[in-house]
Amino acid sequence: MTTAPAARRTPSAVGYRIGLTVVLALLALAPLVLPPFWQRFVTEILIWGLLAMSSDILIGYTGMVSFGHSAFFGLGMYGAAAALLTVKPPDLWLAGLYGLVGAGVVAAFVAYFATRLRDIYFAISTLVFSQIFYVIIFTWTEVTGGENGLTFSQPRLSLLGLGSDRFTPVTLHWFVLAVVTLSYLLIRRILQSPFGKVLESIRENEARTRAIGYHIERYKIVAVMLSGLCAGLAGVLYAIQNKFAAPDFVFFTVSGEVVIFNVMGGMGTLVGPFAGAAFFLLLREGLSRFLTEYYLIPLGMIFVAIVIFLPQGLLGFLRRRLNQ
Amino acid sequence: MTGRWQDESWARSMWWSGKTTRRKFLALSSTAASALGTAMLVPAPWREAFGQARPYKIGTLQPLSGTAAAGGKTALVGVQMAVERANATGGINGRPVELIVADYESKPDVGRRKAEKLVVEDKIDAHVGGYLSNVCLACMPVYEEHRLVNMVGVCLDTTITTSKCSRYTFRPFDYAPAQAVAVSPYLVGKMGKKWHIAYLDYAWGQSTRDAYIEQIKKNGGDVVGTTGIPLGTADMAPFVSRISGSFDGLFGIFFGANAVSFTSAVFDLGLTKKYRYAGDGAIAESTHLPALGQKIEGFIGINRYVPVLDPPLNTPHHRKFFDQAVAALKKIDPSGPLPDRYVQSNFEATNFLKLGIKKSGFRGREDTMKLIEALEGMEVKEGDDFPQGDKMLRKEDHQAFIREFIFTIQGNKHKIVEVIPREQTIVPPACKFV
Repeated sequence: MTTAPAARRTPSAVGYRIGLTVVLALLALAPLVLPPFWQRFVTEILIWGLLAMSSDILIGYTGMVSFGHSAFFGLGMYGAAAALLTVKPPDLWLAGLYGLVGAGVVAAFVAYFATRLRDIYFAISTLVFSQIFYVIIFTWTEVTGGENGLTFSQPRLSLLGLGSDRFTPVTLHWFVLAVVTLSYLLIRRILQSPFGKVLESIRENEARTRAIGYHIERYKIVAVMLSGLCAGLAGVLYAIQNKFAAPDFVFFTVSGEVVIFNVMGGMGTLVGPFAGAAFFLLLREGLSRFLTEYYLIPLGMIFVAIVIFLPQGLLGFLRRRLNQ
Repeated sequence: MTGRWQDESWARSMWWSGKTTRRKFLALSSTAASALGTAMLVPAPWREAFGQARPYKIGTLQPLSGTAAAGGKTALVGVQMAVERANATGGINGRPVELIVADYESKPDVGRRKAEKLVVEDKIDAHVGGYLSNVCLACMPVYEEHRLVNMVGVCLDTTITTSKCSRYTFRPFDYAPAQAVAVSPYLVGKMGKKWHIAYLDYAWGQSTRDAYIEQIKKNGGDVVGTTGIPLGTADMAPFVSRISGSFDGLFGIFFGANAVSFTSAVFDLGLTKKYRYAGDGAIAESTHLPALGQKIEGFIGINRYVPVLDPPLNTPHHRKFFDQAVAALKKIDPSGPLPDRYVQSNFEATNFLKLGIKKSGFRGREDTMKLIEALEGMEVKEGDDFPQGDKMLRKEDHQAFIREFIFTIQGNKHKIVEVIPREQTIVPPACKFV
């Protein structure tokens, strides 16, 4: 029967699909109706959202708090920069490849050592690794540009044999939206697979998961690498949008912000950290316009209020309201 | 009266009742929003004097929070002083100047976004400011893309006016190669032939080190060793203790808290008794002197600005600037620091912009090329607008050449030892505008 799959769909799955379609449609329309600054801003939110989503694989699904995402993000950015500076003419897909290889190698290195540790020790080891990469990038001026970073030109939008054209703010937004959407769907599929369920099992009870025969370390390594690759992809997109790479993005405070995105939006939901990133960035932008350097005071107060009153984050709160 | 403040009736009605209700949250939020809105409705002070004249919108990006906040706030004082002065003396071409301030949190990504916001949303006519070189470099393409003049206020990185120069960006103050040209004859001729250079091991420190090595050698001296110290190192003693050997002078390239740590370590380990101690003027900014006390005595430095009223800075122009800057700085720091080179260069950068606008008849962003042409090669004389001295903005690379001061510290105060005229600081241009 051709209607069987449709019949199996639950109301919540249908609601999810409708919701996702509406959100994607709104995001696709955004650059056509928003003023130029906000066009760019929404594109940037998508990129930071992808970074937040990547860290949710570890924080929310595997129960491993990582402060090393700045290293993956930064290495993705510097990898893309390497391709855009060395290959003439700058190639979009090569930038993506270099960025993913850069982030992937670093993620494998960090994963190999850090996954032997648990809880706070894992968090600290990822932080230490990110700082090591930061110091290397900051001081190796001849290659990385040191403190000043690297500036480069934007590659053209080329669609594998379908010709190429310069990015406009609108086409760049659509390109980023497409990459982020595909990444989201892929991560979601992976996390819903048996592999994802093992990660959740590790989060809930690592000893029991090991006892029933799973090789915990291997799962953790794959989770860190998957997370690192997605963070690296966000770094590639950021480099393409802003045409520069800087060591500040490798500094651990970026990882700290990513953890804040997760807490604000709701961990273990994928969409939650994305919403957290959007909420945080919009709030910061709005408050800093009126309060310049004093914006951190209300921002901090709002963060504390969310932690106290909405411990499951914005998405958790929304879910609870919808379920009532 | 109740025992706990939370049980008072006013506290219970305002906030505390054991839980926060939505009604109370909304009431407090709307009160805060109303207060903010009311504050925003108060017209800017220059509005009344200029009636309906359309203001020139000048944007300034400064790090008002984050690691560089202290310097950023000082730099902003310089811009604000110049804008207030312009508005108090009839504006520019009869139009007031509206200053739009943006804080970039000492982060390049925020800087880039704020630059976009100033350019696209606030529609500024020109930009003046920028403190951290990495943020200056990240934002330069934004000004270039939207075609408006960017007058750098503090950023020192050499590449801004060399390999990464832009037709839209001007640096109206000195840079490391010019300082090296100015001070090296003094170092080699009057302090010693052999030098050891200690520097902050990152882009600025490395490029400044290279400029000094080149010039010391050119003047017949030699650099026998270098020591790089990572930025932000709290205890520099392990690095400084490795500095030894046969040389005459130790030259330091440091700024901010790193300069204080380095000088303390050099003094504590007895290097100031063994070797002559010289370095970049940023080591001995007036804000560092109370912390360093005796440790900085006898230091020889080079700087574009020193906060003294001795010749040749005993002019009425400089006294006026000095007094106004001290008063303005006291508002942000009650300890009343003396003005430094950041206040001076931002003040003069804004005045360069003012003169360029006047000279070119600039009406708005559509006249950016006219403004650039007016600024290129502009020579200015010492006066109320330029209390530091005469200046020239070179056409080929948009780099200014100005007089430099070689100074020493005596009695915890700056004392000018020698003045190097700007003609003796010239470095050949190394810029090709795209």
